[in-house]
Formats: sequence, structure tokens, C-alpha cells
Amino acid sequence: MSGFRTYEVYQRTRPGETTEWIKPRQLTSDAYLVDPYPLVAILREHTPCYRDWPGNAFWVTRYDDVTSVFVDDANFETRSRAQRCGRDGWGRDLGEELEVLRCLERAADQQGEAIARRVLSEMEGDLATEVFARLPFELLCTAMAVEPTTDLARTYLHLRRATSWEPAARRDGLDALDRLAAWAAPLLEQRRSGDGDDLLSIVARVGGSGADLAITVLEMDHDTLHGVLANLWCRLLTEPELMDEVRGDPLLVKAAVLETLRHRPPIVSADRFTRHEVERFGRLLPEGALVRLSAAAANHDPRVFTDPDVFDLHRRDLCQREPRGQYRADGLPSGISFGTGAPSRHPAVPEDRPRSRYAIVRDLASTTTRAILEDAPQLRPADGATPTLRSLRIGEPHTCWSLPVVRG
Amino acid sequence: MSACPFHQVLDETLRLSDPSPDAAGARRDFPLMPVGQACDMGRASDGTPLIDPRLFDSAEFQRNPYPYYRIMRDHHPVFHDTLHNCYWVTRYADVEAGYLDDEGFNTIPKGMSNGVLGNTQLELSGIEHRRRRNLYGRHLVGQALDRRIPIIERLAAEMIASWFDGTAPDGSIVVDERDPSRRSVELGKAFANEFPIRVVCQVLGFPDEARSQFFYWYSSMMNGLGGSETAHLGIGARQDLEDYVADLVAQRRVQPTFLYDDAGDPIGKDIISELCTTVVDGDLLSAEEITSNIALVVGGGGETTRGAILNMWYLLLQHRDQFDRVRADPTLWDAAFHETLRCASSIGGQPRHTTWDVTIHGVTIPAGSLVNMVDFSANHDDRVFADPERFDVFRPDLHTGKIIRSGVDRDGRRSHMAFGVGPHLCPGAWISQQESVLGSRVLAAALDARRVRVGIDVDRMPADIDGTSLAPIGLGAIRSLWLTLEDASR
Ligand code: HEM
Repeated sequence: MSGFRTYEVYQRTRPGETTEWIKPRQLTSDAYLVDPYPLVAILREHTPCYRDWPGNAFWVTRYDDVTSVFVDDANFETRSRAQRCGRDGWGRDLGEELEVLRCLERAADQQGEAIARRVLSEMEGDLATEVFARLPFELLCTAMAVEPTTDLARTYLHLRRATSWEPAARRDGLDALDRLAAWAAPLLEQRRSGDGDDLLSIVARVGGSGADLAITVLEMDHDTLHGVLANLWCRLLTEPELMDEVRGDPLLVKAAVLETLRHRPPIVSADRFTRHEVERFGRLLPEGALVRLSAAAANHDPRVFTDPDVFDLHRRDLCQREPRGQYRADGLPSGISFGTGAPSRHPAVPEDRPRSRYAIVRDLASTTTRAILEDAPQLRPADGATPTLRSLRIGEPHTCWSLPVVRG
Repeated sequence: MSACPFHQVLDETLRLSDPSPDAAGARRDFPLMPVGQACDMGRASDGTPLIDPRLFDSAEFQRNPYPYYRIMRDHHPVFHDTLHNCYWVTRYADVEAGYLDDEGFNTIPKGMSNGVLGNTQLELSGIEHRRRRNLYGRHLVGQALDRRIPIIERLAAEMIASWFDGTAPDGSIVVDERDPSRRSVELGKAFANEFPIRVVCQVLGFPDEARSQFFYWYSSMMNGLGGSETAHLGIGARQDLEDYVADLVAQRRVQPTFLYDDAGDPIGKDIISELCTTVVDGDLLSAEEITSNIALVVGGGGETTRGAILNMWYLLLQHRDQFDRVRADPTLWDAAFHETLRCASSIGGQPRHTTWDVTIHGVTIPAGSLVNMVDFSANHDDRVFADPERFDVFRPDLHTGKIIRSGVDRDGRRSHMAFGVGPHLCPGAWISQQESVLGSRVLAAALDARRVRVGIDVDRMPADIDGTSLAPIGLGAIRSLWLTLEDASR
């Protein structure tokens, strides 16, 4: 009878333990969607493992606590997107297949820059929606070696909301999963016998079905590339001195990307579930408990970063290379960006493996940023534009959804 | 791509430029619908109506929940709510099966209440639960209760007499200036708020001198349940209560106090004294555990019974023909009590946690998930109760006798789910029925004796959205019930 205990061990809350500074509903308020930082700071400083009753979750907010959960697969389980949208077992996630990883790496490394320049050249006036939001889609189409049609774009965008708690978005997402599977099935059939190195050929050759492809796409990270670029450029365009500094020294671009991932991570929180009862953070977390790891809070933890709320290109306390096996490298914290996966377990990138998603996204974001600096050197915000970040819905990326610009 | 650029597709799919409030944000203003009608939350491609989990936080759902529960029962009998990280189980048969299976659906950690109340038998399961369940249960039923009935009746009579001799609680009675024989009485303030708590305090043996303080602690605790906005006040009040109880426990350990019947003969130790000498697992209960038990008994018995009394009078007075028949035959008050709880109970349901993965109606619920068993919905399941939205004291499909743990399904009559069923069945079911029925009988008799006609004071009661009909009860109990009392001879 695993997990069945007859006695109560969950302590009642003592006076002073709950915060009087925050009300649970604030964590799902519009204020949180726009700016989660002050709210999660309250949790981090006063109640580092906050019991959110209405959301039925435990919020973990300190850097070391968040990373300790994130790397602890033995005690904390990640539920797949397929599971979350009720499509568990409907299709296989082939995203960890070596050939698939290589294919995605190839698309990003070999074609990413050209795609970025092309998309930028087609932009009419909004950097966020016309360029950054579009990049991951173009990249996927390139990887699949298919035309980026309007229909496919629609399917792709709907699909990304298949896990939404909002029923209409979820319905559209599930329908999109079905559409993508149906769209892919004949293509897979055609390419099964060929020797193409595109994603569809690879999926076909490992015996993948349309549903497998749809689930593989569902489980991929699409938000980080889009989000980090939008968040970085939102800042560059609204802080002219910063823009000048980066323009003056393109070597700072990588630092800007990493600092953006730390300072304004597009995925502000990630959920884990306890595999069994665990004693952590001064609490007993019951089996199956939802643990909400707040990157927004952790990346601004003053225990780890000095002046954490300051966006600083020259940070000496943020590691500048890919962390390995932990959230630190060279003794420095890396910042947390969910979506790019846990840090690679390999002490060095093995010859036969592609680079980590973290490295791929970091590099493509840097390349794209440099390409924009080169191709549109006079870029400035459109008159009257006041771009800001927000999550459209609870649980969705915190990023910039409108970045109107003029070329000079 | 050129025909319809990417950003337009983005705008269309994410509704970026849609200013309507339901397109974004965690709050949604649902339109207030005519009672019994659900607002449109969209449909799946196969036509199934959708449920937006923001509904559960809305004012519309508070006042008009039943059409939504019907959609859930008919189309999503296990609704996975990923916004609140829980599952809602809404059909009678599934709720009943869950309650009866306390291994598969354990009560740990109930938590919603123990944040304030402390750890109680509510959160225990299996053997630990059975050990503590009967510590004081006998005070709430059977002989021990029967012998105290006259005392309970007298308390009700005294409280109601105060309406007419000018000693009623402040603000509970307003006398019509033009016609002093007409008065408005708020049944809650004048009777139902205090009566159940005083009854329970008596059986507990809670000292009379701390009663007013106790009401404050009690209401703070009730308002602090479930991690609400005022949780910290509830937690503070709970601590104050515990500090008070600690001294009391020290006294009663050496000098127990007793309950007496009308003739002055001792019936047995009061509940607190009983708990002070109770040994569980070879150890005395601590002051903290005793306080949790006090909090549970009062918490479980106060608000709930208050709500039952108010809802019962509200419903009966809106169904005058049934009210007249009940007054003509006071044995019908029991049926009225149960039909009230079926139709509009004061507790919505109970949380359970799955002990292992379980699949119900095709939905797999992982181990350790929070499952909300919705009593409200079970009670309105037309698989069990015909025309469930109708209030009908005479309905042939509801069991109106004594409630038992295994549930009742006899002669086409089922027990309602308002007291739960199974190992955690409310031990206060019988005493609350006695309180509500005796209290109502005493009240009805007092009105008859004074030749007073009673009605709802519609001017003082909240109206529904149409501005004229009375507001529906919705989830929980009505907050107050203003009655008009008039000289019947005129
Ligand atoms: C109309 C009035 C009442 C209603 C609707 C009601 C409802 C309930 C329900 C639904 C439960 C089940 C909890 C579960 O399944 O987890 C319960 C449990 C309980 N109730 Fe009541 N109750 C009422 C009155 C009372 C009274 C008057 C008392 C005490 C004097 C009381 C004391 C308790 C206790 C101690 C429990 C916990 C039982 C256990 O977990 O084993 N209730 N009540």
C-alpha cells in the first residue's frame, strides 16, 4: 500500500508562518501576469516553501532550493505535456532521439542565422510578432524541410496551447495535435524510404507516426528562443545606453543573452510533482504534491546574486559558460532558464552528441541579435511605443508581445 | 506565407489584440445568468460543452452553481482542473464510492482545514481514524443525547422568548414604528448563529464565562479556513483558543466536569473532560490535540447547522404550501431538514487524495492528487433524485430517517450526501438534526402561541439579478434571513 499512511503528519500552520503580505489569489492576478517579480520576492524572503491552497501547490522560490528540486529526478517527477493535456500514450516523444537532436542542432546552427536575416528583412514594423515569435516556427519548418504555410503556422501556434487550463485554447490545441498528425502522416510515408536528414525523414525512419511527430513537436521548447530575444530587445530598445554599449562591443551580446535569461526568464516557473513523500524546505511534501519552481524568484535571489534586480552586462556572479551537471560552473550560478532542459550531465560535450539545447538557444539568440545589430543598425522604437512584458495567461511565457520599431 | 503573414496568424490564434476580458488573464467575469441556466463557455469540436475552471472563483458560480454541475456530471464526470490542480468528481455514485473507499481515497492531507483547525480525525484514515473517531461520538447520539433533549429545547425556547421581551441580541429585531405589532427579525442573529454553538459548547463543557470570546475565536477560525485571505487571523485565533484551553485542560485533568440531565443526574463527563483523560497509543492527548478536537466539533457543528436552519426556513417560506403542511404536522420537520440538506446544504463537499493511480470514466488520476468530491452535485444528480432542482419535502426518492454510515438505499429512497457517507460520515448528523428540528418546532410553536404570522421580509433580503425575485441560495448557506412577524388576527 504505497503512499497510504493512516496518520496525520502535516503540521498546522503556526502564527507568523503565513504571510500577511500576500494573498494567494495575487499569484493568479493580472498583476502577477504583468510583473511577477515583487510578488514572488515576498514569498522568497518570507516563506520559501509557500503553501498555496487555492492553487494547491507548494511554491519554491530560493535559488538553491529550486535547483535542488530541478536536478532531483529521484524525488521529483516531470509530467510531460502529453500527460498534462490528456494525450499520454497517444504518441511518442522522439525528442531525445540522437538523430532528432542532431537535426535540430543542424537547423539552428547552419540555417538559423539566414532565417533570422530573412525574417528580419520581411518585417514591416513589429520585431516581437514578426520576427521573434516567428523564428521558432521557421526553424521547425526548415528542420522538417517543408514550406511554412499559413495553415501550418496556425496549427503550430494552437498546438502550443494544448496544455492550457483554458478550455477553448486547450480544445484548439488538441485539435491542432490531430491536424498536425494527419498532415504529417502522408509526408512520413513518402520519406520513410529516402535518406533525407530532415526531421520528418528521421522520424519516419525510426518508425514514427503522425501522432509521434505531433507529440515530439508538442514537447519541444519553443518559448525560450522567442522569449529571450523579445525580452532582450524590449530592454535594448527602451534603454538607449545599453543599446549603445552592446552595439559598441558585439562580444557583449552573449552576456546580454545570459543576463536576460537570468533577469527576465521567459518561462517564469516550472512544475514538478513529488514521487513520494519528501521532507524538504522545513516541510513534509506529500506524495503527488505539485511543487511550483519559480525561476523569477530564484534568479533574483539576493543570496546568490548581488543586486539581483539590476540588469548588469558585466556581472561577475553569473557564470558565462554552460553549466554541467549542476546549476553552477566555475563555482558561479548559471541562472535558471526552464525550457532548455536540465544542465547536461556530461562533463564535456561528447563527440557523438549534439550540444545541449541550452547552448543551441544561447548561440542562436546571440547570432540573431548580432544579425539585427548589423542589418538594422538604426533600429529604434516606434514613436509612442512603450513595450512591456506580460504573460497572456497564467502558466504562459512572460515576454513581450508587441515591439513596434522603425528602421531608422 | 505571404497571403496571411505570420503575425496575423499569431494575433488570430493568441487573440493578442482582443480586449475582451475572457481572452486573457486569470480572472474572468462570467455573466450572471437566470437561475438554472448556464452561460456559454464554448464547445469542443464534438459539441461537448466546455468548463472554464475560472468559473469556480466566480460570483456567478456562487449563486447559480447547479446548471454547471449538471454539465460536469453529464459531460465531465471527472473534471481535471489544471488551474487549481485538482479533480472534481460530481456524480452521486462516484462520490459515494470514493467516500466508502477510504484506502483508495484517503483524507490525507485534508489540509484545507487543518491549517487553522489543526490535525483532527478529519485527516486521519484507517486504523488511526477508527481509534479517535469514537472518543466522544456517543455524546452526539443515542441515550446521552436523548437525556439532554429537554435542555436543548429549553435553550431554544429561552432564545426565542427574548424576541418578545426586549432582550434579543442587538440588531436582530426591528420593530415597525407605525405598527408596533409588526416586527422584522433576523433569524441568524436572533437564533441560528448562536444556538448550535451554545448546544455544542454545552456538550463540550466549554466554560460559559468565555462564551463571547469563544464566538470571536470561532468566527475568525471559520473565516480563515482553506488558506483564505484571512487565514492569518484564523491561525492567530486558533493559537489564542489553544492558550486558553491549555489552562482548562490542566484543571480538568485533575478535576473533570460533568453533564447533567434535566433532573440533575450526571450523564457522564463532558467532552473536554473526557478528552483530558483519554489515552490514545498509550499517551494522553495533548492540549493541542484537545484544542483541535474542540475546533473540529465547533467548526463542524456551528456554521453547518446554522446554515441548515436558515436555508430550511428560507426554502419553506418560499414554498408556502409545504410550510403549512409541515406546521400542521410537526413530524414533517425531519423530512424538511433532510430535503433542505439535499437541496441546499451548507457544506459543498470534501477533499480526498488518491492513494494510488485510479481511472474513473476514462480519466486517470495520479496517486497523491487532490480530488474534490462534490456533495452539492451528488445531491442534485438526476440519476438518483428526480427533478433535483425542485425543493419538495414530500419527494419519494429521499431517505428522511436516521442517517447511517453505509448510506441508505431502501424502497427507492436514498440518503443525501450532505453528511458524507462511510467512515467519515458526520458524527454530528443526529444532533444537528435534533437541533434544527427541535429549534424549528419550538419556534413554530412560539409563533402559534402568540398568534403571529411569519413571512420573509423581502425588503431586507438580497434580490436576484432581476431585482425582484429573492436571491438563490447558491453554494453554502444564506448569510442572514429577515422574517416579518405580524399579528395573525388582523
Ligand atoms: C447540518 C449540519 C452538518 C453538516 C451538513 C455536516 C457535514 C459534515 C460532513 C459532510 C462531514 C464529513 C467529512 C468527510 O467526509 O471528510 C462531517 C464530519 C464531521 N462533522 Fe459534521 N456536519 C453537520 C453538523 C455537525 C455537528 C452538529 C457536529 C458536532 C456536534 C459535527 C461534527 C463533525 C465531526 C467531528 C466530523 C468529522 C468526522 C470524521 O472525520 O470522522 N457536524 N460533517
